[in-house]
Amino acid sequence: MTMYWDEQMERAEAGELQRHQLKLLRQTLERAKNSPFYQRLPLDKIDSLEAFQAEVPFTRKQDLREQFPYGFLATELKQVVRLHSSSGTTGNPTVIFHTKKDIEEWTNLVARCMYMIGTRAGDVFQNTMGYGLFTGGLGFHYGAEAIGALTIPIGPGNSKRQIWFMQNFGSSVIHILPSYALRLYSHFEELQIDPKTLTLRIFIIGSEPHSEAMRRQIEDLYGVKAYNSYGLSEVCGPGVGFECPEQNGIHLWEDYFLVEIIDPETGEVLPVGEEGELVLTTLKREAVPLLRYRTGDLTRILPGECACGRSHLRIERIKGRADDMLIINGVNLFPIQIEKTLLGIPGVGKNYLIEIRKENYMDKLYIKAEVDQTIFEGTLAGLTQLQNRIAEELRSELSVNPVVQLSEPGSLPVWEGKAKRVNDRRNKE
Amino acid sequence: MAYHLSIFVENKPGKLESITKILAEQEINIYGIYVASAGEFGVVKIITNRLAEAYQLLKDEGFTVSKRKVSIVLLPDRPGEMHKLLMLLARHQINLDDCYGFVLEAKTQAALVLEAEKHSLLEEVLQAHDYQLLSEAKLSTG
Repeated sequence: MTMYWDEQMERAEAGELQRHQLKLLRQTLERAKNSPFYQRLPLDKIDSLEAFQAEVPFTRKQDLREQFPYGFLATELKQVVRLHSSSGTTGNPTVIFHTKKDIEEWTNLVARCMYMIGTRAGDVFQNTMGYGLFTGGLGFHYGAEAIGALTIPIGPGNSKRQIWFMQNFGSSVIHILPSYALRLYSHFEELQIDPKTLTLRIFIIGSEPHSEAMRRQIEDLYGVKAYNSYGLSEVCGPGVGFECPEQNGIHLWEDYFLVEIIDPETGEVLPVGEEGELVLTTLKREAVPLLRYRTGDLTRILPGECACGRSHLRIERIKGRADDMLIINGVNLFPIQIEKTLLGIPGVGKNYLIEIRKENYMDKLYIKAEVDQTIFEGTLAGLTQLQNRIAEELRSELSVNPVVQLSEPGSLPVWEGKAKRVNDRRNKE
Repeated sequence: MAYHLSIFVENKPGKLESITKILAEQEINIYGIYVASAGEFGVVKIITNRLAEAYQLLKDEGFTVSKRKVSIVLLPDRPGEMHKLLMLLARHQINLDDCYGFVLEAKTQAALVLEAEKHSLLEEVLQAHDYQLLSEAKLSTG
């Protein structure tokens, strides 16, 4: 039985892969000319990787927001069959469009990843990630079906039901948030079921940064192999990169993406092995081709060849963020969203603190907001109403359930700038 | 009509003490005090003999404070009096937001602080039934 979904491409020689990339890059530039955002660039003149890096500036997440909704669209709208979008109503969301071919290519990528770690027709794939605008759910769903696995689109939550499906349908491959995997284990304990007695074989874990120690813990608790999945909705979703059975770095698929690592401060392209921000250029996307997109993720390219035989480069597991984006149980959010929401609520003062803790293996978002003393009318009911309203508006803005704590005016430390308002205690506790 | 001070406080050790300290230093008398708590935070209600001054002092010290209208009813300090009063209010469908009491003279006179959304109806009913109310002026000379 072969280990490869697409052996020729996955094992392509370095030189061959580069020639292929350059050909795809030219096609991408040709398509990008049709996008309102990129048409200002001299894309016609670019005939080499060096010229590409010299002539094309980085694309930032901010650009995607500012060009809402169609500024990056490089095809006619009638060719678009789907859109995915980031959550959030503060400012513009990022919206990414997909043609029929984009969906097919994305499906192929995810299938390649899942096949690489041993998913086959006959497996039962339980997808505990969110469906909907979030790309994590649907991306894997399509990939698993392309392989021929029986796919259970159960979605997140309801731990008892998750376990029930695992028991009754013999689930073998599970797509799950690493923090949720740990929490789910406590439900197994409660039900006095040893997950090792079930048919579980492979866990796909991603969407949030996690450590090697956490992966090993998940593997030990469930008796499975757990693989790190990397993706971002801006360039399709999951499938961008994946660990191979060696579990030593994440392969990024170079026939789909051109990879650069840059110094996040200076923008200088860094040599192999140095840590910096991951920058991706899509090589096959039709609806929204992205050139030199700054992912915000910090990592480095691992030097040397991988024992699995695949020639595509590997990056180290994501170290953190170059910007202030927070990932709460897999949901991405920015502190500015919290600030805008709080400042829009009458009765809330100007100072606030954001704290993130690990509780029962899950991320918990705490918001401490000062009460505005000029409009305090003196009732407890008014305060609890305010507290509930803050929680409600944050929940609708962030898709995360926060714990809101009201503070006395002047009681929170005053900071210059935003960064220090965020106290991420997840790795400290 | 009278007022009590309503102060927003986080539920932490030393919070009440920081309020009483300010009032004690200015020799402001506290007649009654009541804490409504919602767990991590609460509201402290205080009846004092120098309302305006206490309000300003606390505000200057950075407290989130407001003045709220209350009725302070004088009652004989004996069993059944409070029940009689509350029956009257129930009959008139007056809902209380806050209710706390203090003794003025043991076995003789007590005061009950009532805060209601229907404040004017409350005072009307109390007066119609010959209840004596403590006014702000009385509190300050008291």
